[in-house]
Amino acid sequence: MANLVKNHRRYDFDSDLEKALNRVDFFRIFHTMALRFGFEHFGVLQLGNEADACMLSNRLALHDLPSGLAEEYDKRHRFGDSVVFRSLHKSTISSVWKADDPHLGNGSNLLAQLGFDMLLCVPVAGTNGARYAVLFLGDIEDISRQDHFEICYDAACAFDYFYRQVLSNKTGLGLTPRETEILRWISHGKTASEIALIVSVSEHTVNSHTATILKKLDVVNRTQMVAKAIREQIIQ
Amino acid sequence: MIEPIHILLVDDDPAENLILRGLIRKITALRIELHYCETIDDALAFITSGKPVSIVLMDNRLQPQRDFRETVPALRQSGFIGPIGVISSSLADPYFQTFEEYGVDFRLDKAEMDPTAIEFILREYLSRN
Repeated sequence: MANLVKNHRRYDFDSDLEKALNRVDFFRIFHTMALRFGFEHFGVLQLGNEADACMLSNRLALHDLPSGLAEEYDKRHRFGDSVVFRSLHKSTISSVWKADDPHLGNGSNLLAQLGFDMLLCVPVAGTNGARYAVLFLGDIEDISRQDHFEICYDAACAFDYFYRQVLSNKTGLGLTPRETEILRWISHGKTASEIALIVSVSEHTVNSHTATILKKLDVVNRTQMVAKAIREQIIQ
Repeated sequence: MIEPIHILLVDDDPAENLILRGLIRKITALRIELHYCETIDDALAFITSGKPVSIVLMDNRLQPQRDFRETVPALRQSGFIGPIGVISSSLADPYFQTFEEYGVDFRLDKAEMDPTAIEFILREYLSRN
């Protein structure tokens, strides 16, 4: 994807980033990055508005935390009250947090509540200005200055690709041949599982393409999708 | 009682079955049953027998087939519409960039297979269905 010019320096990282196609590919990139710097887990967090009530599980656009951890956290705590969340709205400088930091405060110590010793936050932004943070969690004692600089740069590069490939609103972009094919079958009243059988892909892939078509056509359901596609002569 | 997740591993190296079994044992949050087939013919027979299969993990190169470009369409032709992931010791070959065209959902390097990766994939592909 992308067609970035060489001036966007990605060093030895550009090949992996250019090849990434779906969420699993980006999981692989972020997960490997976390392990390379001694962390155990990562999360890509959508910041949204500070004043909005927010839950950790809803704000994680991609993560490799153990199943149910974020949901369990949300049952017991308010993510919006955590010092870490508030600090992400105060500054775009990368921050390092440890579970025994005295100023994390009682009742808002995100790290202790999640059960990790260290958290590194790398604030990033999508090309439309939407703010996110790439989080790295683990039990290491500290991170060196060199590693800190490097992980910040790598996380910013990986997020840029992830945002443009997966997260960005693709309104107005043209449909791919496969998306047009699926749209045509939807217009014939076929269900996702029937379309999966017809075009020899998984039902998950059909649902994923359908979600992308909804975004690209800027519509809210399959009925409006087909109506707009006929109106705009994408299908007959 | 939580329904188990049925993973079908298709790999001509039985050692991979043992390795994956060991990794899965470390995933305590999910109930997983691992099934193993050594050839694509065995896998096709397994699927068409009606036994439950939630997700297929397919070794890229299975003799005598060339690679996933032949094996995965065969699985799709048998009517399987669940997720299929291809695992390989190298994802560098250019043809991997077209995996979606062959009915593959995701690709994974063997070196990247760890309990976290497996758990992520199961959550990604099975929890939303």
